[in-house]
Amino acid sequence: MVTLTEAPRYFSRYRRIIPDFSDFLAHLRQDLPLYFRLNNLKCPDPSLVIEGLERQGVKIRPVEHMPLFYRVEPRDFPLGNTEEYYLGYIYPMTLNSALPVLALDPKPGEQILDLCAAPGSKTTQIAQLTGDKAVIVANDRRLDRLTALVANLKRLGVASALTTVYRGEEFPFGIPFDKVLVDAPCSGEGRYRQGYEGELLYQKEGHTNLPAIQKGLLLRAFDLVKVGGVVVYSTCTINPDENELVVDYLLRKRQAKIVAQQYPQKHHEGLTEWEGKILHPDLRYTARFFPHETESVGFFVAKIQRLV
Amino acid sequence: MVKRKKARRKKIHQQAVWPRVVSLEERDKVLSFWEERFGIPKTAFDGYVLLSTSKNYWLFVEPPDFKPLQGLRVQTVGLLFTRRVSRFLKPTSTALQRFGSLATKNIVELSPAELDRLRRQRKMSYQADLSEGYVIIKCAGKVWGCGLYVSGRLISFLP
Repeated sequence: MVTLTEAPRYFSRYRRIIPDFSDFLAHLRQDLPLYFRLNNLKCPDPSLVIEGLERQGVKIRPVEHMPLFYRVEPRDFPLGNTEEYYLGYIYPMTLNSALPVLALDPKPGEQILDLCAAPGSKTTQIAQLTGDKAVIVANDRRLDRLTALVANLKRLGVASALTTVYRGEEFPFGIPFDKVLVDAPCSGEGRYRQGYEGELLYQKEGHTNLPAIQKGLLLRAFDLVKVGGVVVYSTCTINPDENELVVDYLLRKRQAKIVAQQYPQKHHEGLTEWEGKILHPDLRYTARFFPHETESVGFFVAKIQRLV
Repeated sequence: MVKRKKARRKKIHQQAVWPRVVSLEERDKVLSFWEERFGIPKTAFDGYVLLSTSKNYWLFVEPPDFKPLQGLRVQTVGLLFTRRVSRFLKPTSTALQRFGSLATKNIVELSPAELDRLRRQRKMSYQADLSEGYVIIKCAGKVWGCGLYVSGRLISFLP
C-alpha cells in the first residue's frame, strides 16, 4: 500500500510523461465522478432509467460525445443498490474504460474475442454496440471471476456471448476472429486514488512479472485474429513497461500496424522513447489518458492491425 | 477383503459441454409459444438460434459457422430463454426482462406495493381478465419477469 504522502515519490518516475504533474498528484485526493452506461438492449427508453433514478434524489446528465453514458451526482450514490441496476438497465463504469471498445469498433456479424473479459464491462459494451448481433467469446482464466462475468451477461440480457476459461496465452486456435480485445491484467496505477483511510488504493502485484504476461497475451491475441483483423490492447496503468514496451515487443515479433484512432476523451500520443530505449515510431499512434485530464481512471489504448 | 470403491472421475466430453442446436421445427415450436402467449412476434428472434440442454432452451446469436466454436470448452452459451417444465414451456425472467417490452398480452401491471408484496410472499390472490398460465410481471413500465396466474392467484417466479 502506498500512502498519499508517498505518492509524489512513487510517481516521480513518470514526472516527464504525466502532464501537469502537480495537478495529477492533487487529483489523486479527489473521488472519481460516478458514471453509468445505459443498457439499450433491455431499456429502449432512457427516460425510464433517468426519471427512476432522479426520483431517488440524484442528478443525471448525459456525457457529451459518449452516447449511452451518464454522470451521476452525488458521487457516492449507491447505484448498485437500485432497481435499475438489478433489472440490468445500467452498468456503472468509468468513462475511460469504455474507450478500448470504441477503438475496437465492433460490428454486427463479426466474431470477437474478449480475452480477459471478467467482470464483463467491455463484453457487455460490445454486445450493446453490435445490437447483440456479433458472436462474442468472453474468456477469463479465473473461474471465480467468470462467475461475475456470467452474472453480468445475464443481468444485462446478452444473448450473443459464450464464456470460456482458458489461460489467455493458451487460448486455442481455429476460430477466425475478426477482432480481439486484450484488456490486460496490469498494476492498475491509473486507478490509484486516495482511499477512505487516506491512502492510495494500490495493491502491488508482488513478484508477478506483469510485462511478461502482457506480452504473452498480446502475442496470442495477434495470432488468433485473422489477417486484416484488429487487436486492441489496453491497460489501466501509466507504466510504459506494461504499455508501449509490450506493443513494441509485438511490433518486433510480428507484422503489425498501429492504427490511429479518434477518442472522445482528451489524450496524448504514446511514447516512442522510455528510459533511454528507443521504441517503434508508430507507437505515437497509441493513446494515453490521464486521470486528472479526463476525470477518470488512467488508461492506455493501442489499436493494432494484423498485416500478414 | 474390502472391495475398494472405484474412484469416480468426471470425464469431460468435448461434445457434451456444447448445447444441442435445435432444429428449425423445434425452434418454431418454442417461438410459437412466445407469440401465442405474449404476442411477441417470431421476427423478434431473427438472427438467433436456440440451443438445448436437458431441460432448458438457450438463445444464442447465429454464428457464421458453428463448427469452429464447438471446439471450445464452454461454460455458458447465450441467454437462458425457456425452460421445459413437465410438458409445458416456461419463459425465464431473464428472457422476459429482455424481450418482454415487445409483449402485447398476458401482462400483469402491478403497483410498487403489490410488487413488493409478491416478492416477499411469493404468491398472492389476484383477479384479472387473463387466461391462466405464465404472465409477464410489470411495474411502472419496467418488466420484472415471470409469474404464473392460476385460480385467482399470482405466483412469483421472479429471481
